[in-house]
Amino acid sequence: MKIVSDVQKGYDASSRGIASANSRSEIAKMGEVDRFSLKELDELKILNGSMQNSKILNIFRELRTQLLNINKKKNFVCMVASVSQGGGASYVASNLAAVFALDKTKTSLLIDANIYAPSLGKLIIGGAETGITDYLSDSGLDIKDVVYATGIPRLRVIPIGENREAAAEYFSSDKMQDFVKEIRTRYSDRYVFIDSPPILDSSEARILSEVVDVVVLVVGHGSVTQEQVEAAIQIVEKDKLAGLVYNN
Amino acid sequence: MNFTVLMQYIDVIFREMWQRKFLCLFGFALISYLVLIVGMFWSSKFESSATIFADNQNILKPLLENQAAQTQVQDQVKIISDLIHTPRILRQVIIGVYGDDSFGSQLELEQKINQLRGGISLKSLGAKSSYIKLTYQGTTPEESYQILNEVIDVFIKTSADKQRSESREAFHFIDSQVKQYKEQLVKAEEELKAFHATNFDGTDGGVDASISRLRAQIEELKISLDESKTTISVLNKQLANEQEYSTSRFTANVYSERLADLESRKRTLLLNYTEDYPDVISVNAQIADIKRIMQDSENNVDRVEKPVNEDSKILNPLYQELRSRLSLVQAEVKAKEKRLAALEGLKDKEYERRKRIAGRGAEEAELSRDYSVTKRIYEDMLERKEKARLSMTLNIEGQGVTYRVHEPATLPTSPIGLRFLHFVIMGPLAGLFAIIGLAVVYILLDQRIRFAGNLQSLNVPTLAVIPHVKTPLTKRIVRADMVICLAISVVIMSGYAGLAYVSKMGLI
Repeated sequence: MKIVSDVQKGYDASSRGIASANSRSEIAKMGEVDRFSLKELDELKILNGSMQNSKILNIFRELRTQLLNINKKKNFVCMVASVSQGGGASYVASNLAAVFALDKTKTSLLIDANIYAPSLGKLIIGGAETGITDYLSDSGLDIKDVVYATGIPRLRVIPIGENREAAAEYFSSDKMQDFVKEIRTRYSDRYVFIDSPPILDSSEARILSEVVDVVVLVVGHGSVTQEQVEAAIQIVEKDKLAGLVYNN
Repeated sequence: MNFTVLMQYIDVIFREMWQRKFLCLFGFALISYLVLIVGMFWSSKFESSATIFADNQNILKPLLENQAAQTQVQDQVKIISDLIHTPRILRQVIIGVYGDDSFGSQLELEQKINQLRGGISLKSLGAKSSYIKLTYQGTTPEESYQILNEVIDVFIKTSADKQRSESREAFHFIDSQVKQYKEQLVKAEEELKAFHATNFDGTDGGVDASISRLRAQIEELKISLDESKTTISVLNKQLANEQEYSTSRFTANVYSERLADLESRKRTLLLNYTEDYPDVISVNAQIADIKRIMQDSENNVDRVEKPVNEDSKILNPLYQELRSRLSLVQAEVKAKEKRLAALEGLKDKEYERRKRIAGRGAEEAELSRDYSVTKRIYEDMLERKEKARLSMTLNIEGQGVTYRVHEPATLPTSPIGLRFLHFVIMGPLAGLFAIIGLAVVYILLDQRIRFAGNLQSLNVPTLAVIPHVKTPLTKRIVRADMVICLAISVVIMSGYAGLAYVSKMGLI
């Protein structure tokens, strides 16, 4: 990922200023990374507060409100999964995280669990070596070793990592349970989003859905049939399923 | 389907097409070129048409009202069509146009005939019009023109011949029928004549009249006979009361009557004359005579009681009179009885005759029925024969239903139906619509969800509908793709136009 040197000064200055002024922003490395320019955010399809296309921003804000209402304003771990491949779960997850991070009283953590098509590494400026799979398989790693800052304020990312072969087993391990509990409870203003593999195509998604609080299913335009959506709904526990997001 | 839904559909269709843009372009090119190639091999049709006039409104019609049978106009199209489509006429046309031996085999000739049959069409100009339009579609203008001309020529010639022979045949047929019926009529007439010749009994009516007459006479006679018989009985009674001879009392009465008479005369005379008048003296003398005679007869009373003396017998005149009348009436009764018997005999004979007449009546009815039926048919046939003769003459003279060329066939200048230009224009349009149509069919058949509304049937809420996001990168890609597509389209269309031009110029 290219590090942008000539960042837009206004955006950068204000966000950095706010970040330093925010007492709850204690997460490491925050001050050490640059912010993405608007152009880069556009390229990454990440929403930002000064977007021209405010319609889509409003849609995500509305989605944020709905999720907050469902969880009674408490922080939560939300899994975002496509019904089938090509649904755009990564896009929805990263933007959900970005929209939560737009609120200066909240931070968001984005976990890339999409072992088949990881895509969140590009948000990390400078790249990442270790990720969630490494953390789960290597007891020597600490959580903070796999959490990376991004070019977006108040948004952290845990990438997929290198050790993806036995992901299903790691996801179902006690360590995973502890990990999720840990990241949820450490900061009450942190909202966690897991970008999961497609729910119908993988067992990992099902395993993941058992440890999270909320599941959002993404239905991609022209990619699944009604029956497939129904099958996906059956897989997820009923009280965890927040709802569907239709992605054009 | 409201406007919004329609727009959604259009959006989805174009999105699907864009996703498969190169396939779409290929399909578009394929279909366009196919249409163009079909157009290149499409043979143009040239149509030649002519109008013929079925003339049955000629000058003779009013003169022949209902006399000569004429063909109805309504049937003209069918008649002409049937006639023209016969293989005989079509063969004549083909031989006329292409020559006698231009076809190698019989099969080729038959094929040509079939082609000709399919190409000719007839149509009446208006429901009751006598104008009939013939059209022929051929592959070249000259062929169309020549064939149509030949068809009309052959048809008019054939129809005239046909009509003539038909009316001649009809006349001959009716003529022979008339002869047959004439023979039958003569025969029936002769039979009837022979029957009448042997029949003397007269008619039913005659017999009835004579019977009633005889009856009346008999009745009358019976009454008069009764009358006469009554007269006889009365006369017989009267006769029984009368004496055959008159008595002496009767003589005395006569004398006293005479005496009274004379005395009355004497009194009359004495009114004017005296006793010594000669007439009075004469009368006195007569009176004295009478008185003496009367005295004498009183003295002879016994002699009178016993009529022994034949001479003194005097016949009673009344008795005589009655007797003579009785005998007269008796003779009359005899004569009448004789006459009654004769009349009764005649009546019986008449009854016999009536029976005979009834028996022959059935025979006569049959004969006369035969005769009248045959006569009626014969007269009808005779009339028909005259009609047929007239029709035949009309047709021979060319005055029946004739066909005239009203508007001769023209050499067609431009082809009809689809032309090459139509195909050239149609190609890209067909390609475009086929591709869009296929996309529509694909979307309708494909089960995958393309509208957020489809999720509403599930029991799970739809949290958000995220519109399609265009990043600068995707916009650039789209732009680049559009340029490529445009370039490909230009190549396809220039190739298309080039092929069309080359084909039009006849270089291929």
